[in-house]
Amino acid sequence: MTFDVTILERTPRERAAKLVLQEGAFTYTREDGGSIAKTFSIEPGGDGRYSVLIEGHSYQVVLVGNGEVVVNGRTLQVSVEDPRKLRGRGSAERGHGRQTIASPMPGRVIRLLVEVGQEVEAGQGLIVVEAMKMQNEMKSPKAGKILEIRTSAGAAVAAGDALLVME
Amino acid sequence: MFGKVLVANRGEIAVRVIRALREAGIRSVAVYSEADRASLAVQMADEAAPIGPTAAAESYLAIDKIIDAACEHGADAIHPGYGFLSENPEFAEACSDAGITFIGPPASAIRSMGSKTAARRLAISAGAPVVPGTETAVETFAEARLIAASLGYPVLLKAAAGGGGKGMRRVDREADLEAALRDAASEALRAFRNAEVYLEKVVVEPRHIEIQILGDQHGHLIHLGERECSLQRRHQKVVEECPSPVMRDYPELREKMGAAALKIARSAGYYNAGTMEFLVDRDRNFYFLEMNTRLQVEHPVTELVTGFDLVQWQLKIAAGEPLTIGQGDVKWSGSAIECRIYAENPEQGFMPSPGKITRWREPSGPGVRLDSSVYEGWNVPLEYDPLLAKLIAWAPTRELATARLHGALQEFIIGGIHTNREFFAGILEDEEFRAGRLSTAFLEGFFGRRETPEIDLETEAVAALVAALESRRSAAGAKTEAAKSMWAQAGRIAQLR
Repeated sequence: MTFDVTILERTPRERAAKLVLQEGAFTYTREDGGSIAKTFSIEPGGDGRYSVLIEGHSYQVVLVGNGEVVVNGRTLQVSVEDPRKLRGRGSAERGHGRQTIASPMPGRVIRLLVEVGQEVEAGQGLIVVEAMKMQNEMKSPKAGKILEIRTSAGAAVAAGDALLVME
Repeated sequence: MFGKVLVANRGEIAVRVIRALREAGIRSVAVYSEADRASLAVQMADEAAPIGPTAAAESYLAIDKIIDAACEHGADAIHPGYGFLSENPEFAEACSDAGITFIGPPASAIRSMGSKTAARRLAISAGAPVVPGTETAVETFAEARLIAASLGYPVLLKAAAGGGGKGMRRVDREADLEAALRDAASEALRAFRNAEVYLEKVVVEPRHIEIQILGDQHGHLIHLGERECSLQRRHQKVVEECPSPVMRDYPELREKMGAAALKIARSAGYYNAGTMEFLVDRDRNFYFLEMNTRLQVEHPVTELVTGFDLVQWQLKIAAGEPLTIGQGDVKWSGSAIECRIYAENPEQGFMPSPGKITRWREPSGPGVRLDSSVYEGWNVPLEYDPLLAKLIAWAPTRELATARLHGALQEFIIGGIHTNREFFAGILEDEEFRAGRLSTAFLEGFFGRRETPEIDLETEAVAALVAALESRRSAAGAKTEAAKSMWAQAGRIAQLR
């Protein structure tokens, strides 16, 4: 069995690798170099817990959901893909032109600091969203103009909800 | 002693108080908002009463609803925990009007210490040093501008009724003052129903050290030493410890600060548990900041080092019993460090991270204490404080306590939401932290200098291995034969070797 693996740890440092599983052994090869081939034993403990032994070294592993794997207390984001599947990764729509400002978290809109048509500078406060009793001012990612406001003061918002559109 | 006590709070502190009540053989009554019906506090209490909708203003802050619940359940006392109504003198008065004992200081002391400006005046008259600033709330921007200019920037805007960093803003230059004043006042109004804000000079890179006091209703007051709470983000504490590393080299500072705290408490007519917060500058000058007229979040570190149970003493003192500990009986043994596990993402500006807890495995071992209200499958509500748990380690020395806490953090498994668990591990590994060189600016510096240690190839491979096997197993899905054979094969593989 062969798997394409993407490892992501805390800071956005993504790393691709290939994992090949054979009878009682694996080969793990990072795309940017570095490879190990070892024998292993794995014991599922139920409840997302696994004991992995690699040539006498013990690893306590817990799958915590959302693709997160905790290995000896360290959390890694792992995604595993079948390499034969098509990769349809969408291209980012960032940069120039229209940009939607979305709420990074669920919460409540406390105050709008801009109006439709207003010119704003990069770093200028756009909207204040409160969650868990903390007010967070969302700042403009760039200089531009406010095209649309899709929310209002007092509105409840979910993570990812569009709040404003600017260009 | 009381027969039944209502706990007017939620989360870990409700659980903490319920445990103390169980231990003392007192029946407990939990209260809950709609969002907290499934809470651990409700499950652990002997009785529970609904007090309304999720919004705190209509439940945990609704004095009449809580008093009604206490009367209905026949509680003879109320423990307010921290936050919510714990520092509200009207609540303390409403309790006594209903013939219920408020477990805390007298309403008069809450009132005089509750307003920061009044507390400052009281501290000054008691002869305790304070940070230069206004004696009354600032009324207008124009006034604020004049005062700030005379104090010199940076200045701090603080909610007169505040706590926990809400309604607080540091202002480094005049250009930012107007917006900061507006935000602080609005946040203060929302959090405390009081928009009053005052101004003070910023002591640059101070330590934040507080003194725990305890007094009975018969005039006996003692202090239980300090807690250092310098590690803060957005003015909210994240790591606390006892003793403060600075006391190791300057033990006389504890006595000086303890004496100042007792002077202030005495002139306020204070009894029950309370905490005086101080800033300590590089030359070890200390300035009284404010008093918290309630149990502190970080009280466990004092309990572990002194051996006294603060909640039990709160109950006894409220019941009129004498405090039988003399100042000479207080000894500080070893070192305790606490970290506050929050539902937040430290890698994204400490953004709150509410949601469902999919995995929850608590650490254990010698000297490890966990105060929490979380269980696997519980949903972290969006409406309240993001504190999930307090993990505390005690050991004979600070070095060992750090190592124990680090180990416990590694054992602690929390899945489904972001937390600051691994962020703490990084702090405990930091050289500056280990050397005890702390200040309220610590975290800023830490963000600049920390390095995420490169992950080794084998650890990464193990993560990939388990994830790959698990994805195969779940892809096999209902085809149980295939799902079974996955692990059976892994087992065979192990035997073959």
